Amino acid sequence: MPQPTQRDTLVVEQARILAHDAFDGAQYILRVQAPLQAARARPGQFVHLRVAPQLPLRRPLSIMRTSARAGWLEFLYKAVGEGTRLLARRPVGDTLDMLGPVGKPFQIRQPRPVLIGGGVGMPPMIFLAESMRRGPQQPLVILGSEVPFPFQARPSQIIIPGIPSAVIGAMPLLEDWGIASRLASLQAYPGCFQGYVTQLVQHWLDALTPEQRQEVGLYACGPEPMLQAVVRLAADYQLPVQVSLEEYMACATGGCAGCAVPVHHAAGVSMQRVCVDGPVFDGYTIYPEMACNTDSISSEYS
Amino acid sequence: MSDPRLALNFCGLAFASPLVLLSGCVGFGEEYTRVQGFSNRDCGAVCLKGTTGTARLGNRPHRVYETSQGMLNAIGLQNPGVDYVIQQILPTLDFSETRFIANVSGSTLEEYHEVTRKFDDSPIDAIEINISCPNVREGGVAFGNDPAMSARVVAACRNATDKPLITKLSPNQTDIADNARRCLEAGSDAFAVINTLMGMAIDIESRRPHIGNNQGGLSGPAIKPIALLKCHQVYQVTKNHQIPIIGQGGICTAEDALEFLLAGASAIGIGTALFYDPLVLPGINQGILDYCERHHIDHFSQLIGQLQHY
Repeated sequence: MPQPTQRDTLVVEQARILAHDAFDGAQYILRVQAPLQAARARPGQFVHLRVAPQLPLRRPLSIMRTSARAGWLEFLYKAVGEGTRLLARRPVGDTLDMLGPVGKPFQIRQPRPVLIGGGVGMPPMIFLAESMRRGPQQPLVILGSEVPFPFQARPSQIIIPGIPSAVIGAMPLLEDWGIASRLASLQAYPGCFQGYVTQLVQHWLDALTPEQRQEVGLYACGPEPMLQAVVRLAADYQLPVQVSLEEYMACATGGCAGCAVPVHHAAGVSMQRVCVDGPVFDGYTIYPEMACNTDSISSEYS
Repeated sequence: MSDPRLALNFCGLAFASPLVLLSGCVGFGEEYTRVQGFSNRDCGAVCLKGTTGTARLGNRPHRVYETSQGMLNAIGLQNPGVDYVIQQILPTLDFSETRFIANVSGSTLEEYHEVTRKFDDSPIDAIEINISCPNVREGGVAFGNDPAMSARVVAACRNATDKPLITKLSPNQTDIADNARRCLEAGSDAFAVINTLMGMAIDIESRRPHIGNNQGGLSGPAIKPIALLKCHQVYQVTKNHQIPIIGQGGICTAEDALEFLLAGASAIGIGTALFYDPLVLPGINQGILDYCERHHIDHFSQLIGQLQHY
């Protein structure tokens, strides 16, 4: 139930496409002009947009970057279904009917946040990292992808204790912001950790003192098996964890409950809407079975 | 929107516009006010989410899936139960903005009666009986596809309230007109025509349905021609009884709305169109007014049932 203060929190804009670039693996980076949403957006939020006239139901797209000053928002998506394939065909200069910014953002509560993004789960982590650019926290960003990253990895100038010394690949944008990052993939990409993002995070956690570990919180967005592994890692190290979910969605205003997922609390299960109750949830309430299982982190996800 | 040419007396209730926001699309009445530029004042009434005697979790994900010019949904009547709705939600609604209509569902006749009785003792303006939900195992469409059973549900609700009763009819049956006749005799004051059509979509890679409930209800422009015909068929039953119809099914534009008015609807249900465009209401209101002006009609209600058959 929205209270009166939640009225008018979403806006509809005709967002003009400023840039739309294709990368390997059917990945696209889209930049649109939408000043009202650019000014309001917070990390973890998404927009709901009409990709093409023949598909009138909107598609949710998580926000990767914004410039409140210049009035643009940027997205990274992968063309996987009919909607994203149609979106990929929209040229610079076209306008997209865009509703947003939707959802509850991430809440940073720890001084050592670890931001874990897998595939098209990378965008909210980049947005979250940028929000901490001049803040008191010391974020570490770990990105994973099984297709080539949509940027040229750069050898990092930032030393991160615990990370294997050969793993030097970093995201240039984050590097420019002075934010530590590393890349992971099962593919043998140069400078990248060959393995899962959670295994790389585990290397880093094991190098911390118990006192330092108490300052860590995990923040993740990516495919479900990755999120499950992140929650299991959090449980093993007794860390707080927030995960950002995606789900088929119709209204993105809380009206239809089409995107509801089971959320587990001590009192039982409730169905909560990914659009307005999320998309960010406490990871333990989404994957409680990961918290119960004390086996070491498995690597069965792909 | 407040134009006297759109005002409607619906079963004694003052609607500012013939537009009615449909149950299941707008939560419990406040959700769409999140969108800047959206106002409940642009519609005559808002139908709240289907409500049962006790809280229900609804169906597993995925619950929605887009199909060609439409969408499937299988929410499964997720709701917090009638007591919570009356005690916690109704007091937060602004009844000065629009009329609010409860949508009542149940697994038994007793549950329909009890939920209706509780809403009767609340500020709610009217009650819609949902005997056509296709997404629950018990009740719902199992009642709505059997005219005798539909009439028994209406009678059970009628015994529990003097508020206007709207029966939401299922298109998933052989003779919707016969069903309407039986419900009318059992005391229904109005009809909502139609609920969703049962449908399915399959992921050919995983060989599983796209919808967690395996099947769902189809809505959107794809069903409009069917809804229009059903609406017209029910109008043949109701036209001599002063029983209004809320025509619904894929209405997205003023032209769609005008078709339903001509077919016999007195009010116009808007559902899936809100998902496409949350700011769709003012344009439909204005389009109806423009049509009236162009045809030198003083009030939109002069269009109701004016279809000329060949």
